[in-house]
Amino acid sequence: MAISKEAYKGLEVIVGAEYISANPAVCEGYRAGPGGYECGLGYERVMTKIPGCVIMPRTTEEVQKIVQLCNRYKVPFVPYSTGWYGPRSHCHVSDELLVDLKRMNDFEIDEEHLYAVVGPGIIYSQLQEEAMRRGMYIVIGGGGSQVSAIANMIGDGWSPLSYRVGLPHRRILGTELVLPDGELVLMGSLATQDDPFWGEGLGPDLRGLLRGFTGLRGCLGIVTKMAIKLLPFQPERLEPTGISPHTTLELPVNRVKWINFTMPSKDAMRQAMYEMAKAEIGGGVTKVPIFWRAIAKASCKEEYWELWSKESEETISSFHLLRVLLIAFTSEEQMEYEEQVLTDIITEIGGEARRTRPSDESWFKNADSAGMWLMCGGYVSVDYVIETIEHAIPHGENYAKLKRNFTPPLMPDYGDPGWFQSFELGHQGYSEFLVYWNPDEDTDGVDHFYLETSKENIRKRFYTSLLGPHQPLYLTGPAYGPNYHEWLLKVKGEFDPKFVCHPPVPLAHDEFVERAEWMKPMKDWESPEIKPSP
Amino acid sequence: MLKGKVSLDVTQLDNFEYDMSKCVKCKGCTWVDHIYMPGVTFSTRCPSATKYLFDSYGAYGKMRIGLAMLEGRLDYSDELLKILYACTLCGACDVGCKRNLDLEIELTLEALRIKAVKDGKGPMPQHKKVAQNILTKYNRFGSPHQNRNKWLPSGIKPADKAEVLYFVGCSAAYTNPEIAQATVKILNAAGTPFMLMPDEWCCGNILYSVGMADEARELAKRNIEAVKKTGAKTLLLSCAEGYRMWKVDYPKLLNISTEDLGFKVVHLVEFVDELIKKGSLKFTKPVNLCLTYHDSCSLSRLSEPWTPWQGERGEWGMVSPTLERRRGTNGVYQPPRDILKAIPGVELIEMIRIRENAFCCGAGRGTKKAFPDFASWAAKHRLEEVKAIGAEAVVATCPWCKENFAQAVKQNGDKLKVFDISELILAAISG
Repeated sequence: MAISKEAYKGLEVIVGAEYISANPAVCEGYRAGPGGYECGLGYERVMTKIPGCVIMPRTTEEVQKIVQLCNRYKVPFVPYSTGWYGPRSHCHVSDELLVDLKRMNDFEIDEEHLYAVVGPGIIYSQLQEEAMRRGMYIVIGGGGSQVSAIANMIGDGWSPLSYRVGLPHRRILGTELVLPDGELVLMGSLATQDDPFWGEGLGPDLRGLLRGFTGLRGCLGIVTKMAIKLLPFQPERLEPTGISPHTTLELPVNRVKWINFTMPSKDAMRQAMYEMAKAEIGGGVTKVPIFWRAIAKASCKEEYWELWSKESEETISSFHLLRVLLIAFTSEEQMEYEEQVLTDIITEIGGEARRTRPSDESWFKNADSAGMWLMCGGYVSVDYVIETIEHAIPHGENYAKLKRNFTPPLMPDYGDPGWFQSFELGHQGYSEFLVYWNPDEDTDGVDHFYLETSKENIRKRFYTSLLGPHQPLYLTGPAYGPNYHEWLLKVKGEFDPKFVCHPPVPLAHDEFVERAEWMKPMKDWESPEIKPSP
Repeated sequence: MLKGKVSLDVTQLDNFEYDMSKCVKCKGCTWVDHIYMPGVTFSTRCPSATKYLFDSYGAYGKMRIGLAMLEGRLDYSDELLKILYACTLCGACDVGCKRNLDLEIELTLEALRIKAVKDGKGPMPQHKKVAQNILTKYNRFGSPHQNRNKWLPSGIKPADKAEVLYFVGCSAAYTNPEIAQATVKILNAAGTPFMLMPDEWCCGNILYSVGMADEARELAKRNIEAVKKTGAKTLLLSCAEGYRMWKVDYPKLLNISTEDLGFKVVHLVEFVDELIKKGSLKFTKPVNLCLTYHDSCSLSRLSEPWTPWQGERGEWGMVSPTLERRRGTNGVYQPPRDILKAIPGVELIEMIRIRENAFCCGAGRGTKKAFPDFASWAAKHRLEEVKAIGAEAVVATCPWCKENFAQAVKQNGDKLKVFDISELILAAISG
């Protein structure tokens, strides 16, 4: 047994013998890799461990007791909802307790006030179906339909639908957080009453403990309940159809419609995004990376590569496909109006509508992130940025140049400049840079590229969401602050004085660079020999 | 193997090293296809992961455990054997994975059991007793072999020679004779001459399912030879488990394709559906029931024909020559539904999880024998769904499903009726 008998016994009393195990076979099932998001890379190999013990609480009270006991016995622990987010959501140290939250799947929905209260065991597609059945909807983050809604809301949480719906932190309402020492924090209106309707409560607003642009991957406690704001949708059903693997939602095209446009240039895409925003039309607008189209067309991995091998630098650089979603929230007349306005905009810019299937496979209910592994078997988004459209486009182009130095081991993609889209009616631009590699080859170059993107952001003054636990804190902190790292560690120290909550996050990437020989030559920043730990 | 020569031979676990190492924990194996996700209830399709909850019981856990076994990093334990065997091998995980990733999950799970047997650790003690019954009494119950044809109703005489051979199977021969009796009466009513095996033995479904591949292979050879000797062109089954065994697992064990068997393997529903569509069989008697149809796994997502494959895995995990993946798309989903819809008086309402998303009844592949509580739990879970849609009855195409549901109904004290589809077909023909 990995943790002390006394601690185990105490944990067993909290949840019952059925819901705790230190059996090696059970623990092996919770290994992060070798497959999965960011898995197979150095970070996963060096920084993750199988848990020493797994526990599955049912209630917030049980979580509190577990955390309190961990503090008493100095047992490190990590919260875990679905395990999707690769190595960073798995155990990092030996003899760690993995707190599997899937039994915490309570669900309530308030149709009148448009919100749902969920436990960490509720996943997005469940929430979306419950919402849509009642005339509402939510953004399913690009992470996928299969992720815990709470984990994604405090981690990432965006998709092309964020164009209309907005960013996730605006939709986090009353929330329950068990701090790393077991104390319960009730946020928003939950702080004063049994009603989670308001995200804001008595100040200061502690939602900052949960996330900034992205989250802290479980190193500041465990969210056990969250009210999530839902948005009103149009009334007609999106009908599921087909047999696996060819399943799709048939769209009621008088109310919901995707239209793909071939645009003459990247600038024309940018212009279309702004014009749509000015006209306040659309439910989503995104640039389509060409390899997504190849994935969608291919019936298997082999066919993907057959299609992909026909591409070239020239076809990639001249591929400008804009995908626009129209949603007639109020009436069919809204669809007619928006489609006409959109047509006028696109025509004026020189774009052309392509025939588009009246269906959705990717964003409303089935965000298909798992399909990203089909071609290569290795995938991670090395950066995602929420800034302006003006920022998003050069960010991707810049990364494409940088990536050439690391291809192979990265997948040959002919200089594809990534993915960008418009958020919050054009007020923000989003850029995400996805990379693929062959996990069965030497992947050190991918680790180098991952870190190099951070340096590139600093050099070129690009904004980035992947700070905190995603990159070395002593590299990014002084550059984005200048003392962001000090503040984050102070916060960590205040709330987790024994450093039991998912150690060594948020210093895990710093430690990875120290421990992985092939990373050491890249270390050209200062960090204390003994890093501060609470 | 990550690169190099590879095949679909389940007796070598390393054929599936790539598949085990590429699982990304999307849990598509456990959740209902998100397109069809019904909300917060009835949202999973993997009985094992739903019941036991630990990730280790889902295919994502088993892939990691399998890799550890292959690499010699994990010792056998009671818990490990439970993880391998408290699983209905229902194929839900396989179709779920193949929606996005095309990993061979079902074959890997079968290969893990075969490895456990080879290593002298499997199968479970209860399985060994069943295996002994099959090998000595030629039926899984250990009943006297001479009683195998006792189910045959008076007034029905199988032909000495016919194109259609009805393979009855252990369940219908010994514990669910009503299915065999209904089947032969249907054939009789349709004017289809049929014969029985001169000496029918168990199909060996349990042997293969629990990992006893060598014993199952010998039985397959014997049974195939016996059918060939009869000259039958069509082997008809009323048992979904047996249907899968003959159509998929026999060819798999013998490294031949389904079409190389030398005869066609057909389930009763395919046969009857064709008769109805040709107008050779008509339903005239009303069956006034509001019922729902349960997709028996071995007739639906697990039933696509087998084609042996071997080749090379190369760069990016690509394989050559072309591998036609079995993704469950072409399972027998529609014929039973068309049959039920054609019966006057029947109101067919669908469950929430249907076709490739159906939740297994829990009985098959050795589960009920070694883990009866789990099998019972799975049946009760599925029956909750039947009740939730307001059906009076549930219909299956397999005696294993019928038996397991019937026992669960009895334990629950429910008023639900449980039928095999053959019984309803017969009722619609003869009243």
